[in-house]
Amino acid sequence: MPSAAESALLATPVWAVLPFACYLLLIAVLPLFFGHFWESNRNKLLLGLLLGAPVIVHLLGRADGAALLTTTVFEYVSFIALLGALFVISGGIYVHGSPAGTPVVNTVFLAIGSLLASLIGTTGASALLIRPLLRANQGRKRLTHLVVFFIFIVSNGAGMLTPLGDPPLFLGFLRGVPFTWTLRLAAPWALVNGILLVLFAVFDWFTFRGDAARVAAAGTAAVAVAPVAGSGAVAPLMPALAPPKDKERLRIDGRLNILWLLGIVFTVFAAGTWGPALLPNGHARALAQVICMIALAAASWRTTPRHIHEANRFSWAPIVEVGVVFVGIFITMVPALLFLEERGASLGVTKPWQFFWASGALSSVLDNAPTYLTFASLASGVADHGAGVLTAANLGALAVHPIGQELLAAVACGSVFMGANTYIGNGPNFMVKAIAEQHHVRMPSFFGYTLWSGAILIPLFGLVAHFFF
Amino acid sequence: MIKDVLLCLEGSASTEAATRTALQIAKSQNAHLVGLVIVDEPQIRAGAATSIGGASYKQDRDESLLAEARKSAAAWLGVFDSRCREAKIVGETRQIVGRAAANILREMQAFDLSVMGRDANFHFETESTDPATRSYVLHRSQRPTVLVPATGRPVWKRAMIAYDGSSASKRAVTAFADSGLAHGLELHVATVDDDGATAWEMAGRAVEDLKRRSFHAALHNVVSVLPIPEALLEQATKLEADVMVMGAYAGSRIMERVWGSVTTDLIEKTTISLFLQH
Repeated sequence: MPSAAESALLATPVWAVLPFACYLLLIAVLPLFFGHFWESNRNKLLLGLLLGAPVIVHLLGRADGAALLTTTVFEYVSFIALLGALFVISGGIYVHGSPAGTPVVNTVFLAIGSLLASLIGTTGASALLIRPLLRANQGRKRLTHLVVFFIFIVSNGAGMLTPLGDPPLFLGFLRGVPFTWTLRLAAPWALVNGILLVLFAVFDWFTFRGDAARVAAAGTAAVAVAPVAGSGAVAPLMPALAPPKDKERLRIDGRLNILWLLGIVFTVFAAGTWGPALLPNGHARALAQVICMIALAAASWRTTPRHIHEANRFSWAPIVEVGVVFVGIFITMVPALLFLEERGASLGVTKPWQFFWASGALSSVLDNAPTYLTFASLASGVADHGAGVLTAANLGALAVHPIGQELLAAVACGSVFMGANTYIGNGPNFMVKAIAEQHHVRMPSFFGYTLWSGAILIPLFGLVAHFFF
Repeated sequence: MIKDVLLCLEGSASTEAATRTALQIAKSQNAHLVGLVIVDEPQIRAGAATSIGGASYKQDRDESLLAEARKSAAAWLGVFDSRCREAKIVGETRQIVGRAAANILREMQAFDLSVMGRDANFHFETESTDPATRSYVLHRSQRPTVLVPATGRPVWKRAMIAYDGSSASKRAVTAFADSGLAHGLELHVATVDDDGATAWEMAGRAVEDLKRRSFHAALHNVVSVLPIPEALLEQATKLEADVMVMGAYAGSRIMERVWGSVTTDLIEKTTISLFLQH
């Protein structure tokens, strides 16, 4: 037990949490009202550092401050190295061809995505599959539901089975949650994705039939036209509404990247399973993991023909942006996590179902990675009851604690599943929306999308809460 | 008389019909025709809530949609230009980068007549339909507008004036008569009212007004169980009218929201061109 003097020294003041809250709020609000300002990575970095500065000063005033900052740096580098490696490697795989966009093919596509996301991450699976899926359905009039369900399943709900699936789970892994622990979430994963796939199949079948009937009635799928000089005739101008092209068989380019992906899976698995025995020093272990990630990403970059990256419209900009934004998050997050760990029990959130809904609510409007850590820290505080055994820095202990593992499962499910509730809940959501719009799919507005998620996901999450928490 | 006509260009089938109508009007009135395209860059680049990493995807999406909008705009202007030359009409093209509704309205104020496709979508890059822009300009424009559905006929032989005695419908009659478009047309005035005497008297006033301007028009009182828009469209079909002349949005916005709008219903359902005056 820490002495009264030590407790006083360690107690985190409320103001130290404010930069974290402010930064998350700004991440949500600035793109909406100051989009041009937010486009600049320099501005994002400056804002993160500005809000991080008082936190750094505060931490350096603590006895354990330097150690906390060092751990944070290693954690940040490990986190970005994994995201970057997955980003580069999945960007080197291109799925050619476009099968017929029938309800059966679309459902199988989403089912494949729901398995793939746990291996290559929701971002990687989304980037890999969204374009072939849109190509397969080119010519169909109503595609909004397809993209919305894609976001629900592939970009969010699917990435639950391994720490590679979704950034929050990897953050948990970096803090000691065993690699295979996430497999215990297989039941809620199967329930959510199974029901979503069935719902999608029914929905797609009805829209497919409706579209077919409409096209047959109109005699053509082309609606938008422009006059053709001299002929008095009209010709289609908008490519989205042009008749579908002939269907091609699916073919995968850049298959060597599957090997590099397996390398990532092996690296993370090995780091979690044999790493502590081979390299007892946590920082050395993290460094080794980062080196492996960089090596695998470099191997992918070197071995992938440029035309594959071009076909995927590969750009470094998204991962640089993620790296820049997470600088601010990782710095400002430290005192917030300590605060929740210290005072978790007094905040009134104590039951798994409360953790599920509370983490989900926050994950819906903020990024799910910091949300996960915030509530996992709170869970540590709640389960620990002042015993000083469970800490936010070691979630591995929480994952095996009789009460803690229930709370952590609720936090993992809430953070991962409910990232689908809005476009901003999880990284790939907006990416998929933007790619769909480039393919002329009319996507719902921010609030229109929340109507979809409110009608479909919230009742489904009610079932998850009822059966599992 | 009409000296200059503005045609709002985009890619819908109704704009094709509007283009033919505008060419016909410009030819018959010997008017100067301007084809206007809008690249609504502010709409495409409008701020949006993005996830972490999403800002770069948004930038990519914005650039891609903007490039497509510019390409489409150039194509529409090119086609319009060549059609003007073919029809031997003095045509001019104009491209504006900015908000669609505000810019179209500003341009409309400088022209004697504007012609627009009923289903025109000035936000085709981001929206599947765009009734908001149409509603915005029709509620505010001081000048007459011809709204053309995809089935609108370019050459007019018969016009039906839908008259309800409102100041907007009086302005519509005046604008139509003064425009020169009424010359040579078979004119009909139709009113919809259950009280035959009142309706007859109301239509009579419109006919008198037209007579003072040297136009002869036949009177029709429509008594129908159908709602007013359907009754008017049924009458127009019976008369084989090519254009319906009417005052647009005569009521207040609040009443429109509560009770609905005859103008909006007519716009949505019409199969012939509408000559509208707010």
